[in-house]
Amino acid sequence: MTASAPTGTPAIAVEGLWQVFGNDAKTRLKDAQGRTSSAPDAAEALRDDGLIPAVQDASFEVKEGELFVIMGLSGSGKSTMIRCISRLVEPTAGSVRIDGEDILSANAKRLIELRREKLGMVFQHFGLFPHMTVADNVAFPLKMLGKSKSERRARALEVIEMVGLTGREDAYPRELSGGQKQRVGIARSLAANPDIWFLDEPFSALDPLIRRQLQDEFLKIQSTLHKTIVFITHDISEALKLADRIAIMRDGKIVQIGTPAQIVLNPVDDYVREFSRDVAKGRHARLESVLHTDTPPTMPDDPKLRLDMTLEEALASCMSLYEPVPVWGNDGQMAGYIHPSDLAKALQVDRT
Amino acid sequence: MSDVSLPAPSVMDRLTPGTKAALLTLLVGALCLALESATEFLPVWPEAWTLPVTEWIGVSLEWLFDIIRPAMRLISAVLEYPMVWVNWLLVNTPWPLIIGATVALGWYAGGLSLALMSGVGLGFVLASGYWIEGMNTLALVFVSVPLALTLGLLIGIWSNESARARPWIEATLDLMQTVPTFAYLTPLLLLFGFGPVVGLIASAIYAAPPMARNTLLGLQRVEAEVKEAGVMSGATRLQQLVQVEIPAAATQIMIGVNQALMAALSMVIIAAVIGGFDDIGWEVLLTMRQANFGQSLLAGLVIVVFAIIIDRISARMATSRERFDVRISWVILAVAIAASVLAWAALPAPGDMAVLAPTVEAVDGALTSFTRSAGATLDAVKNNAMFYGLLPLRIGLDGAVLPFTWGFSWTANMSYALFAAAGALGIAVAMTGRMAFGMCLPIIAIIVETGVSDLPWPFVLVGLGAVAWVAGGWKLTRLVVILMLLIAISGLWPRAMLSLYLCGAAVIACAVLGGLLGLLSAVSKPAWAVIRPVCDMLQTIPLFVFLIPVLMFFQIGEFSAFLAIIAYAIVPMIRYTRHGLVTTPPEMLESAVSSGATEWQIMREVRAPYAAPTILLGLNQTILYAFAMLVIAALIGTTGLGQSIYIALGAGDVGLGISAGAAMAILALIADRIVQGFAEERRRALGL
Repeated sequence: MTASAPTGTPAIAVEGLWQVFGNDAKTRLKDAQGRTSSAPDAAEALRDDGLIPAVQDASFEVKEGELFVIMGLSGSGKSTMIRCISRLVEPTAGSVRIDGEDILSANAKRLIELRREKLGMVFQHFGLFPHMTVADNVAFPLKMLGKSKSERRARALEVIEMVGLTGREDAYPRELSGGQKQRVGIARSLAANPDIWFLDEPFSALDPLIRRQLQDEFLKIQSTLHKTIVFITHDISEALKLADRIAIMRDGKIVQIGTPAQIVLNPVDDYVREFSRDVAKGRHARLESVLHTDTPPTMPDDPKLRLDMTLEEALASCMSLYEPVPVWGNDGQMAGYIHPSDLAKALQVDRT
Repeated sequence: MSDVSLPAPSVMDRLTPGTKAALLTLLVGALCLALESATEFLPVWPEAWTLPVTEWIGVSLEWLFDIIRPAMRLISAVLEYPMVWVNWLLVNTPWPLIIGATVALGWYAGGLSLALMSGVGLGFVLASGYWIEGMNTLALVFVSVPLALTLGLLIGIWSNESARARPWIEATLDLMQTVPTFAYLTPLLLLFGFGPVVGLIASAIYAAPPMARNTLLGLQRVEAEVKEAGVMSGATRLQQLVQVEIPAAATQIMIGVNQALMAALSMVIIAAVIGGFDDIGWEVLLTMRQANFGQSLLAGLVIVVFAIIIDRISARMATSRERFDVRISWVILAVAIAASVLAWAALPAPGDMAVLAPTVEAVDGALTSFTRSAGATLDAVKNNAMFYGLLPLRIGLDGAVLPFTWGFSWTANMSYALFAAAGALGIAVAMTGRMAFGMCLPIIAIIVETGVSDLPWPFVLVGLGAVAWVAGGWKLTRLVVILMLLIAISGLWPRAMLSLYLCGAAVIACAVLGGLLGLLSAVSKPAWAVIRPVCDMLQTIPLFVFLIPVLMFFQIGEFSAFLAIIAYAIVPMIRYTRHGLVTTPPEMLESAVSSGATEWQIMREVRAPYAAPTILLGLNQTILYAFAMLVIAALIGTTGLGQSIYIALGAGDVGLGISAGAAMAILALIADRIVQGFAEERRRALGL
């Protein structure tokens, strides 16, 4: 695993996280760990006992402002993982720290405080309250915070505008389309202005056109809000398009964590390779297609990219970088710069 | 045909569970018959093996009651206040106002059709002259329903909150609903004293379970993500419950309110048998006892009208979001108030109305002349059904075949001939591959020859146990055998068998008739258009009213009870059969059609197997309905447990009432679990 060391306290730090379903899971996990030497063996032992190890020994960190995508097929444990981090389910073992605070040992009161002030969540099937209007749905977290009615309404309208639903604030969820419903879900999760934003397959229930549209708007919102995000998806192209870093899960284990470029170009095993197989097709696309020519930001690294390199070649030389890097023309002058993450995204766009 | 004589060792392995069970039952049956004359303890459960459980229950309950009676009497006294108050209010409110308010509500909930229905319905009540009695009944309903709703809501929430308490609560709810209604009344009478408060409390107890169940169901059905969204918004458990989960479950909870209303009404009417309150149920009972059927029918119709109005308005409010212009409701109400105020002096007293008196007399006259002229035919119908159907099932061919009915007497040789024929036929069927069915034929022969009430108890015990084993494995078998032994030890076995026989006969009739009607409704839209409103109607009518028409034509007796049970219990069979048959997934039908199947092939090969679990659930409901009605039918002459419960009520014998009620509940529970087991097995087989 190639998780890069973040500076300062990570926004989210998960360590040795286990979620085992079944009776008496805690003691039986401990027992299995005692009997075996490695996590996979322990998981195997648990499975033989008829328990379900949905998340096995997961560790990762998410930096402040980072968009961290957890990706995997259905049943890989990714939904359970996000529910462990938000403590919607009680993890069996391990620790989850949010801004350094161990939330697994937080008492009920503190947990409610955290959820009111710090955490927001978007659900795959929206999870809208059917008996409330759009505005009431969005204002619900504020109501829990004890805000006054007028304050709630004002803030709700503000967030509703941000997600482009102005004019629909008095509609009921049943009167909305899927895309509109998820806009409400997003607005609600942002109403209390949380620092940490959980999104559990937010766009999976939508049809492809609406999905792309919402992805773009989501990126736009994130570019102004800079939340710390844990984003769950089963769609590799969505992951590559959105992520700063991706964790790929399989059968409850994290098999690889890396930038989109690392995932595409340096898969750790056949499973990950299978995901990115359809992706690596931009063999003939040149760097020009993703070049920025405006004033470059500070660029600490220089992997010596040339303008006539293919995307794939470029990716190969900057796969562990995620700061912008310069691109040199044939004349030896700097022709512009690129974001390494753009490379993988560009490969994505080519795929049809 | 060469492989008939299978090699012995492999036979046991190749038998299906059904065949094994049938084989065992058959062996035990044959053994019992063979030893019948030689042993005394086989045919009848020996007296010496019973314990005076009934007395024990009676003594210990009365001891308990002596302790808690003062508290209960206090509750009774407290409840008397709202009841008297509501009663006074309803009786003294000018009738135009009550009618106006109901019509206004009907309009608001369901528009013109419901408004009209309410107006015409209450107009009929007014014209019948039963207005006061009707209001007395409604007063009981309106006081008991809030109690039931509160109780039900709290129980529902509690069982939702506590996973540990849930199984216990559900078992209690099961019990509250399967213990026959009459059985409640005896202990309540002893606790709360004579009077309408007993009816009030009985109906609150009876109406709470549907509310609790629907509350729990609604809360459990709230989408997981909706709950999680509440949690992630930082709601406390109470906020979550009050602001998210209960409102999100509102529709299901409103369905619970509808069901609680109907249950309360039904129970209030039944509670009339204890008398002491001038309500409409009492009126029905009184006129029925006087054989004053025109009047009885009229009073019964008043009940039906109440039931329909309450049901339709509350059901519409529960399930439909559409509301009609409330301003029109206000106008209707204003007109009603104006009419009450302006014409108060001129309005006739509602109790004096006798507009329908001539009609009643005419109906009575027509009825009398009809029963006189068609009496012979009706008697023939009844006697034929009794002599050739019910009686043989009850006491067996060996007892029922007598010279003056069948024209000859039954002899032992006839029994042998019957067994031989059934055995031969069974073997023939078994050779075509349907082993279990073949085996069942001689079992049926044993039952018909001996009669359900005379069946040797080991045979019944093993038979039920074997069926339970097929349906739900050893666990269910253990439960069934223990419960049946409990009945036997209490000395209630013979009466339980009588109840089992009548219920069984009615259920078989319901299954055949209801199944056919369901099939007809599934294939023919016009037929469903006729059958559906009849079903709706039958389901709305309180149990009690079913007795009137059967009594009119067939007098007191087992046959009348049999018909009343069928009329009440057939509805679920029809509904579920049709529902199962018409809800086959379209892609299954399309693939059948594209394989070239005809309509009937589709029905037989695709629809019927797919519908089997649903139809079994319908059968299950039918069985429970039949048990419920069986006790009510004791009023018009059945034997068995129902009669015991009724007698206990009259004599204030709490031990007998409770133990007979419990025995009835046990029978219903056993039937329920076995049929559910089969339904579950079918569902699994279909991968549903």
